[in-house]
Amino acid sequence: MTIETSTKEVSLESLLKKIPKQRERLREFRETYLTDAVLLGEIPSPTFGEQDRIRLAVDRFRENGLEDPEIDEFGNASGILPGTEGGSSILVMAHADTVFSPETRHVLNVGADHITGPGIADNAIGLAAVVGLPKLLDQLGVRLKDDLLLLTNVRSLGRGNLEGARSFLETKQRPIRAGICVEGATQGRLSYSGIGALRGEITLQIPSSYDWNRFGASGAISHLTRFINQILEIPMPKEPMTRMTFGGLRCGSSFNTSPRRGSLRFEITSEGDEILNDMEKQVNELCEQFSLETGTQLELEVVAKRQNCGIPFTHPLVKTTRAIMNELGITPNVDPSTGDLNSLIRAGHPGVTLGLTTAENLRDENETIHLEPLYAGMAQLVSLLQAIDMGLCES
Amino acid sequence: MSKKKKQWLDRNTFHHGEFWDILKLVEEKEKKGLSISLCIPTLNEEKTIGKEVLILRSELMERYPLIDEFAVIDSGSSDKTLEVAASYGADVYLASDILPEVGDKRGKGENLWKAIHQLNGDVICYVDADISNIHPRFVYGLVAPLIHREEIHYVKAFYDRPLNYSSGLRSTGGGRVTEILIRPLFSLFYPELTNVIQPLSGEYAARREVLEIIPFPIGYGVETSHLLDLYEKFGLDAFAQTDLDRRVHRNQTTNALGKMSFGILQTFFNRLHAQGKIDQMPNMETFYRRFEVEDGVYNQLVQEVVEEERPPMIEIEEYLNRVVSP
Repeated sequence: MTIETSTKEVSLESLLKKIPKQRERLREFRETYLTDAVLLGEIPSPTFGEQDRIRLAVDRFRENGLEDPEIDEFGNASGILPGTEGGSSILVMAHADTVFSPETRHVLNVGADHITGPGIADNAIGLAAVVGLPKLLDQLGVRLKDDLLLLTNVRSLGRGNLEGARSFLETKQRPIRAGICVEGATQGRLSYSGIGALRGEITLQIPSSYDWNRFGASGAISHLTRFINQILEIPMPKEPMTRMTFGGLRCGSSFNTSPRRGSLRFEITSEGDEILNDMEKQVNELCEQFSLETGTQLELEVVAKRQNCGIPFTHPLVKTTRAIMNELGITPNVDPSTGDLNSLIRAGHPGVTLGLTTAENLRDENETIHLEPLYAGMAQLVSLLQAIDMGLCES
Repeated sequence: MSKKKKQWLDRNTFHHGEFWDILKLVEEKEKKGLSISLCIPTLNEEKTIGKEVLILRSELMERYPLIDEFAVIDSGSSDKTLEVAASYGADVYLASDILPEVGDKRGKGENLWKAIHQLNGDVICYVDADISNIHPRFVYGLVAPLIHREEIHYVKAFYDRPLNYSSGLRSTGGGRVTEILIRPLFSLFYPELTNVIQPLSGEYAARREVLEIIPFPIGYGVETSHLLDLYEKFGLDAFAQTDLDRRVHRNQTTNALGKMSFGILQTFFNRLHAQGKIDQMPNMETFYRRFEVEDGVYNQLVQEVVEEERPPMIEIEEYLNRVVSP
């Protein structure tokens, strides 16, 4: 054991000892982040329509003491809490967009032990944690040596394709020691790699010239059903591990009229980038074949595509995160990310994604977060930030 | 519109956006040595009370110390209203525990009246508990005119802008009882008070010295009586109103509104008589009657609605003792 390693271990030990007290203090200060979770969460923020929520985020950054917070040309809000030394930065980020449309009633209900409403877990509470960090650190008496770079990024989900975070990281040329992506749910989540993903939308259209008397003629629903069965016959390799998920099917609106149009949304995730390329090719070919054989028009639009990336399980950042989770009684759930962590790591920065609390009914309008686990979730975030600042997360 | 009315509307109608700088409000409040209490009257409001307490307390007591005291005064909820409110840091009281010497009556007006005794602020701001889109503007928008202008004593909320838009004039968006009962009555007997855009809104702020000298109906008539009594004493210039934009709340059934109107009418006619606007007053019935049809059979439903009133707080001995020796 080198002297330096030994010193780090002692420092980590000392940090871990302070965690239980930290958790209780974060319970005392909960209004700081719960209020922002509600105020931010009640502003509709669909992907590509996040500007109102971002405006409040930047106001909060300013009120909480950030130096010159700004909204960049892509719509992200960011700001810096200067450190005592400031040689490098630690990035803490949360996405501001949600899966809910502006027409959804964005009203949150606050109970004694829970908050319920659309998008509270994904990602109003995560966003509030980032926005409230400067004030929380002040309340906790924590001064960082590094600059703290806070980012609430837009265009993360679905068709957003991580554009907000990626654009920010491409243009913000600062030395970043490490980054933490904050998600509301689920506590225990530990992502240190970004999994390769291909997201696509297949649109089926029955042309006006369609011959309804031909053999096998039918409406869009039947065609899409057959097409899904054909996709499912594409062999999925076990190694590298690959998975396909159908996430949305839209077709028809009545009882007795065959629809002429429908769409299917899917995601393929794989540990092998070449598998994703191959799958894209196969789905494209299948679309072409199906169109010709049935007289319909099928088109694949690739909405998002990202490659595998990550840091090793043995990386000190991952190791320290696990130690902090362990101290808080949180069981790590290792899960590769398809979210903003991908942009962070591909930009060359070590990073992890953490989940703050437990949740129910994710992505439903009655999405619910539990408050009791949240204090441990917040303690996990603050302690990891301190650990990075102390240099405990570097090789 | 008369020139006087127009002047009042111009001078005494505000939009909450004018008071966005809460820090400035706090400074002004402190300079004037004012203290402000916030009271939320409740009865079975566990679904919305948590958010109201969380947001108003966090924003207006901790972040910006505009409010000095925050109380939830409850009529005896059978749900978790008090537990939830207390968990987010509100001072919670049962109305029956306040001034036990004068007894206990059930109704929102009772809670508002007892708040005058229980709370210490020079200004008391009342906010209903059923607002699902609660925001700090519901408080700072109402107390700001009282902080800035000494001649204003009572500030009412309203929620839609009755302004000329490109698509034409939008209605005031008042509730059903406002539009088909209160506005016609005011037009008949108190035309100047028709300037108050939403006379029944449950959110208002007032100076202690005016709240303590007026009686409080304990039921549906409390908002109406405030307007009539203060108008008689101070005229329209004592009032102001603030546009708080949108307010999302529970929708009431027509039957419930009928019962509410019955209570308001009792208060209204009592005031008309007391202020000499009508000579003779028959003994008014206290039973509200309506019909229900079931399987083709008409049944009359009868409910007793008595608009009891509490006297001006200044007449209560315990209050006088408290004021003299706090």
